[in-house]
Amino acid sequence: MGDVIQLEKLTKTYGTRRGLVGLDLAVAEGEVFGYLGPNGAGKSTTIRLLLDLIRPTSGQARLFGRDAREPAVELHRRIGYLAGDFVVNPRQRVGECLTFLAHLRGGVPRARIEELAARLDLDLTARIKALSKGNRQKVGLVQAFMHRPDLLILDEPTSGLDPLVQQTFLDLVREAKAAGQTVFMSSHIMTEVEAVADRVGIIREGRLVALDTVARLRDHALHRFEITFTDPVDQAALATLPGISDLTIDGPTARFALATDPNELIQVLARHQVASLRASEPDLEELFFAYYQTTEAAKEPSRA
Amino acid sequence: MPNVLTKTLWDSRRSLTGFAVGTALVGTMYAGFYPQVADGAMGQAVEGFSPALREALNMEDIASAAGYLGSSVFGIIVPLIAVIYGIATGTRAIAGDEEAGYLDLLLAHPVSRTRLLLHRCAALAIGASALAGLVLLAMLAVRPGAQLDTISIGQFAAQCAALALLSTVFGSIAITVGAATGSRAAALAGSAGVGVLAYAANTFAAQIGADGLRYASPFHYYIGNEPLRNGFQWADLGILAAAIAVLVLIATTVFNRRDLTS
Repeated sequence: MGDVIQLEKLTKTYGTRRGLVGLDLAVAEGEVFGYLGPNGAGKSTTIRLLLDLIRPTSGQARLFGRDAREPAVELHRRIGYLAGDFVVNPRQRVGECLTFLAHLRGGVPRARIEELAARLDLDLTARIKALSKGNRQKVGLVQAFMHRPDLLILDEPTSGLDPLVQQTFLDLVREAKAAGQTVFMSSHIMTEVEAVADRVGIIREGRLVALDTVARLRDHALHRFEITFTDPVDQAALATLPGISDLTIDGPTARFALATDPNELIQVLARHQVASLRASEPDLEELFFAYYQTTEAAKEPSRA
Repeated sequence: MPNVLTKTLWDSRRSLTGFAVGTALVGTMYAGFYPQVADGAMGQAVEGFSPALREALNMEDIASAAGYLGSSVFGIIVPLIAVIYGIATGTRAIAGDEEAGYLDLLLAHPVSRTRLLLHRCAALAIGASALAGLVLLAMLAVRPGAQLDTISIGQFAAQCAALALLSTVFGSIAITVGAATGSRAAALAGSAGVGVLAYAANTFAAQIGADGLRYASPFHYYIGNEPLRNGFQWADLGILAAAIAVLVLIATTVFNRRDLTS
């Protein structure tokens, strides 16, 4: 299977502001790729380069083995695109908008549009200006998926969607994957990506700082714990746990971060009475931070 | 089968209807005053004007139907509204929709920038023609009642054809500035600024002793050779059409080269 997306030293500079710096990345056919990063990291810049909406300062973006610039119209037939802030002329009806977009692609069976609209609970006869942000985003989802494109490029696809619809969205992505479609989706929320993505790339200040499978990436992440004991906190036992950091004791409550699996922590806890335990998912910022620190740390010895 | 052209026209149906009906109503209202003007009251008032002002306002022959319509209805009011329609439509066509974020989605579809721009230009030209066509129908409707029979149907048609092209020229300027900059404000200000200068150049060139300047103004090719008196001015219409073609060519070239604003 070939690579559907290939970025080669892709660089985009806006005046003096750097958008992307020498980005190399390949996404294989049939893969679901999560593209993560904080706002302003360069996610949308990458996607707009892929779609030939903007042009690279240097380097190249290739889709299906061809330069994204030259045969853009041909390539776009094989792509479904959803922007984070999906906007269309609000004075039209949902069905009218979707029919128009479908015709730009040479037509999509009416039944397919109706099926997707029904699954997302979207009213095709409503005027777009009367829809909430989440419902507008559903229109975007339908138009991106309706023609079963070879490649789905989704920029923050779930913004504004309620949790139920997010599940439907993840189902759509899974079905696309099962059908052999390739999915490139950006997000700043780890959880929505990890549920479906095979691999994840993390971008920060225009550079790719991490690229790995979801499982391996998570291993590096810090889990935050907040544990309240009924008996005094056994600070010594906690402090010797491997991978522990940021340990603070506040009366009966201990707060810390753990960079490894929690097996040894559980052994310590088993010897005590625990009143409450809260473990938070590692959020993306911390994941970045972990990666940032590791790259900084890796540099130190070479400097010395 | 909807495409960018038909969709653009459909989406702008309300604004186009408003402009076309408005222009036709205002035009016929002024044309309806002609019988009073022909009585001579207006002629006497105008005689008090200096010859230079009369020439500038094209009022040397206000008492004839062609003179009256050429100075008032087709000299100021109707072209003003038609040019505003052109500028509003041209501004929205690229820069307005780009700033609103609509173009990203369209261009992520199998639609080239050239095709998008040409369809938008075609929608502008069709809209301007519809506006001019309605003005023509309205004029023909009031022609017998308002004693405008001295102007033939062909002469009215000639003036309205020039009107359609004039409106399209200024719309094309807005499209071109929008295609080059992606800025709605620049497209609007640029085309409106050119419109004011072009009107001034045509109207006051003789007074400031720069007679040649009027040949740079689209307004000259619109009304300078008085289609209401002389019928179709094919050379003038050709020059307006050529100006549109050059603008569209420039717009296509620059639009294909730049980044879309986000």
